[in-house]
Amino acid sequence: MAHRWAMVIDLDRCTGCETCMAACHAENNIATVDAKQAARGRAMHWIHVERYWEGEFPNVRARFQPVLCQQCDAAPCEPVCPTYAAYHNEDGLNAQVYNRCIGTRYCANACPYTARYFNWWNPVWDKPLQLQLNPDVSVREAGIMEKCTFCNQRIVATEIQAKAENREVQDGEVKPACVQSCPTTAMVFGDLDDPNSQVSRLARSMRATTLLSELGTNPKVIYLERESSHGND
Amino acid sequence: MKRRTFLKLSAVGGAGAALAGCGHQAEQLIRFIPDETLIPGVATWKSGVCAQCSAGCGMQVRVMQGDAEVFRDGQFGVVKMGLAKKLAGNPDHPVSRGKLCVRGEAGLQVTFNPDRIKHPLKRTGLRGAGQFTQISWDEAVQELLAHLQPLAAPQAAVSLAFLTRPLGGQRGVLVERFLSGFDGARLVPFELFDDAVLRTANRRSFGYEQLPTFDLAHCSYVISFGADFLGTWNSPVAQSVGYGTLRQNRSGIRGKFVQVEPRMSQTGANADEWVAAHPGTEGLLALGIAHVLLKEHFGHAEATGSAGMQIDGWREGLPEYSPEAIAWKTGVAPETTTRLAHEIAAQSPALAVVGGAPLAHTNGMFTALAVNALNALLDSVGKPGGLQFTPRPPLSTSGSAQDISEEGKVDSIRTLAQQILSGQRPIELLLLYEANPVFATPPGWQVREALEKVPFIASFGTFIDETSRLADLILPDHSSLESWIDAAPESGAAEAVISVAPPAMRPLHDTRALPDLLLDLARRLGGRTRQALPWKSYEEMLQAALAPLAHHPGSVSAKDSDEFWKKVQEQGGWWSTDASLVPKAKAPADSSRPMKNQEPQFAGPAAEYPFYFLPYASQPFFDGRHANLPWMQEMPEVLSTGMWGTWVEINARTAATLQIEQGDLLEVASPNGKVRAPALLSPGIAPDVIAMPAGQGHEDYGRYASGRGANPIKILAPQVEPTTGSLAWAGTRVNITKVGKGELVLLTGGPTEWGAEKVTR
Repeated sequence: MAHRWAMVIDLDRCTGCETCMAACHAENNIATVDAKQAARGRAMHWIHVERYWEGEFPNVRARFQPVLCQQCDAAPCEPVCPTYAAYHNEDGLNAQVYNRCIGTRYCANACPYTARYFNWWNPVWDKPLQLQLNPDVSVREAGIMEKCTFCNQRIVATEIQAKAENREVQDGEVKPACVQSCPTTAMVFGDLDDPNSQVSRLARSMRATTLLSELGTNPKVIYLERESSHGND
Repeated sequence: MKRRTFLKLSAVGGAGAALAGCGHQAEQLIRFIPDETLIPGVATWKSGVCAQCSAGCGMQVRVMQGDAEVFRDGQFGVVKMGLAKKLAGNPDHPVSRGKLCVRGEAGLQVTFNPDRIKHPLKRTGLRGAGQFTQISWDEAVQELLAHLQPLAAPQAAVSLAFLTRPLGGQRGVLVERFLSGFDGARLVPFELFDDAVLRTANRRSFGYEQLPTFDLAHCSYVISFGADFLGTWNSPVAQSVGYGTLRQNRSGIRGKFVQVEPRMSQTGANADEWVAAHPGTEGLLALGIAHVLLKEHFGHAEATGSAGMQIDGWREGLPEYSPEAIAWKTGVAPETTTRLAHEIAAQSPALAVVGGAPLAHTNGMFTALAVNALNALLDSVGKPGGLQFTPRPPLSTSGSAQDISEEGKVDSIRTLAQQILSGQRPIELLLLYEANPVFATPPGWQVREALEKVPFIASFGTFIDETSRLADLILPDHSSLESWIDAAPESGAAEAVISVAPPAMRPLHDTRALPDLLLDLARRLGGRTRQALPWKSYEEMLQAALAPLAHHPGSVSAKDSDEFWKKVQEQGGWWSTDASLVPKAKAPADSSRPMKNQEPQFAGPAAEYPFYFLPYASQPFFDGRHANLPWMQEMPEVLSTGMWGTWVEINARTAATLQIEQGDLLEVASPNGKVRAPALLSPGIAPDVIAMPAGQGHEDYGRYASGRGANPIKILAPQVEPTTGSLAWAGTRVNITKVGKGELVLLTGGPTEWGAEKVTR
C-alpha cells in the first residue's frame, strides 16, 4: 500500500540545538567540504536550522526553523530536470536518481527553499573516516545534485520488514534520522493518508502552516508556529 | 614479509586474500579471520554510553560489517569487522530517553578520526616540539614502570599527579584506587566549565554537593539565570526532553520561560522573555524577585531552611534588595522585576535555574546562593515541576567527583601549577588523561610553564593536543566505542542510574584501554597498588562493582549474577526508582555566615577596557574538545550561523558607533593578552558586552582544528571565585580595535537579513 509520508515540525518545541543536522550527516553520508568551500556557500546540510532575528536590543527575539526538502506535491524541481533524475515516487516523495543526474542544477535554481545541494567536488573522507559511511546510502560524486530523501532507506527497510511479517507499517515506526534524534520531539513523521496518524492529527492543528504556501508547491513538511506566553500580565 | 608468513596468511584468509593482494599495498595482502560473525548488510544496535561530555547519556550504536585496515598481533591488515555506523539515544535510558545532542551524534568521528594516536609513542625531539617515534607496548609499559616503581615505595620523597578530565563511574574509582598505592599522589581533575561553584552552593543551601535535575516537564514557569540548559550546560539532552513537554503536550498548559543573560544564548533564544541584566548582577535580580515575594507574603522566609539562611537579611525580608534599590546595578527596570515576581507567584510550580557565566564571576557563590534561596522560597526543591537531586546508585564508591573531593586528595590545576613552580610539591611524574589545561586556562595560571618543569609526563589520551604534546611517553587509549564504558550520571534523571556498555566494536589501532592498562601496571607493581586493584580486567572489575545492584529492585531482574550482568549489558545500564535510594540531605557542612551582596570584580579598569568580555561554551565544540571533528567544524553555530572559525560578537549599534562593519578584523585586548577575530554584528548582545565562542584557536589538535580561529581563554585574567578557586571566566574586561578585514564563514545571516521577517506564512 502506498503512503503519503509527511513531517510535522513544531517550532514551539524546536530549540535550535542542531542535533538533527549532525544525525543527518551521519545517516546520509553527507560530505563536509572545507572552510574555503563553505565560505562560497557550498556546505551541504540536507537539513539546516535557519535563524531569524526580530526586533532590536533589548527587545529582541530569535526564531529557529529547521529547513529541509519540503517534499512538495507540486515540486518545482521535478519538471525542470531534463533527465528525470528528480521525479515523484509512488509514496509522493521527491526522489533524486543520482545516476541519472547530469548536474545541470536546474532543480536547485527552481527550488524556492534552497534545499538542494550540488557536489562541486568529489567527497573526501580522510582515512579512516570512510569507515563511518552508512552502506545503505550511496555516496555522491562531483557533478551530482543531492538533497533530503526523508531517509528513504529507512522507509524501505521498514516496509520490507512489515511485509515479511505480513502486517502494515505502524504509525511512528518509520523515523528518519532527524526525527529519531530530536531531543524535544519537535519532529514527527508519518502517513498523511492515515487520518489517525500523529502527523495527520498535528497537521490539523490551528498552528499548522507551510513554508511559502503562496507558491502553491503544497509541501509535505508542515510547521506548527511558535506560541508565546505572557504570564499573567 | 617473509614467504612463509605470506603462505600462512594466505591459507588462513583463503584465495580472496591472495587476490586482494595483487598489485596493492603490502598491508592488503593480509586478511585476518573475521573477528565476529556478522551478516553483511544487516545492522545490529548495541548499547553504548556517550563519552562526549560528563552527562553520561545512554546510547545505541548501529554496527554493520565492513572492511577495515587494523593492527592485530603485531601486524597491519584488512579485516571484516563490525563498525559503528550511527549513534542514537537509548530509548530506555532515564537520562537520554532515546535522544542525543549535536556533539553526541558526532561521537563517531572520534573513533574514526584520522588524527588519532595509533600506537605508543616516545618523545624524540625537545619537549613540546611534537616529535615522537613509534615504540612497542612492551617498551612503553617498561618505561612507565621504571618511573612508577620508585614512587610506589613507602614514604617516597617525591610523588605523582594524575591530571584528567573529570572521571565518573568505575573508571574514576579505578584511578583513585591506582593512586592509593602512591604516597602523596594527587588527583587533578580539570574542566574549563566546571560547575564547582554550583555544587558547593547546593551543599550549603540544600545539603547535596551535586548538580540539580530539573523537572521541566511538569513545570509552569522557568526563570533561568544564564544557564544554557538546552545547549551545553549540565545534562542538555535530559533538559531538552523535558523542555519539549514544558512547551507542548499538556492540554491547556504552556509553561513560560524567562532567560536572564547579557548575550542571547541558544537557550535564551527560546525564551518568551529575555532579560539582559548586567553581567554579575544575576543574584541581585533573584533577590529582588524574592524581596517582592516576601513583601507580599508569598511563602515564608522561615520555611526555606538553610537555603534562606545563607543570605544576609533574608529573615527581615531582604530590605536591601527592593526592585528600586537593585535597578541601577542590574539595569532591569523595577517594574520588570516586580512583574516577574508576580508572574512567578501566579504560576506554580515555578523553578529558577542558574549556571554558566553568572557563576563564573568573583561573586559567583553569592549568585548561586541567591538563586538557591529563591528556589527554596518557591518551594521547588524536591517537588514535581521543581528541582531535585538524582539519587546515587547504592554502590560503596560511586566514583563521582564530589565523593573524591571529600577525601581531600584532589587539587586544582591552578594549585598544582603554583606548587610545581614554587618548588613546594615536587612532582616527579605526571600522568595525563584527556584534559587540556594548556589550551583552556588563562596564561596567568602558568600551566604550560609548570608542566614543562615536571621531569616525566606520560599521556593516555587519544589525540595530540596542546597539553599531551608536552608528554615524554604516550600510551594511547581505545576510543569509547572500542572500550568497556560506564558512567554514573550526576543529574538528568529522577532515578538512580548507572550507564554501562561493552565495546561496540574492536579497536582499529594498536591502542590499549586505559582501565586495563592501569590494572596491568598495578599487577606488575605489586604491593599496595596490586592489593587495591586485584582484578584481571576492567570487565571483571565492573561486574564485581555492580554485582550488589542485583539485590535492589531496579530495571534488571535476574535469577543469578551471570544473568544480571548479561542483562545490564544488553540494557546499557541499571536504573532504579527504589524509594530507599533517595538521598538524604547532609547537614550543611559549611557553617559560613550569611552572605552579603558582593560586587563582581573585573580585571581591567573600565576607562581603559570599556567592554565586559564573555567567552561562552560553543554549541559544536563545547570547551574545545570537539574542534577536531570535521562535522562540528562545518556545523553552523545556530545564532551566528558561523562555521570553521571564531568571531567577535558585538552589538550592532555599538559597532555602528565605532564604525565597525560585519567581518572587520578586530583585536580584542585585555590586560592579559590579545586575540584577533572578525566582527559579527548581533542584535542579541548588550551594548557593553563583547562575546566570543570558546573552542577554536588550537595550536596543535589535528588537521581540522590546528591553526584555526582564536582562543578567547588566552586573554582571560587569572581571576577566581574565591571559595572554590574556580576560574572566573566571565570576570575580564576588554577593549577592541579595528585592525583590518577578516573572514567570516556564515551559512546565512548578516545584517541585511535582519528585520521583522516572518518565519512562515
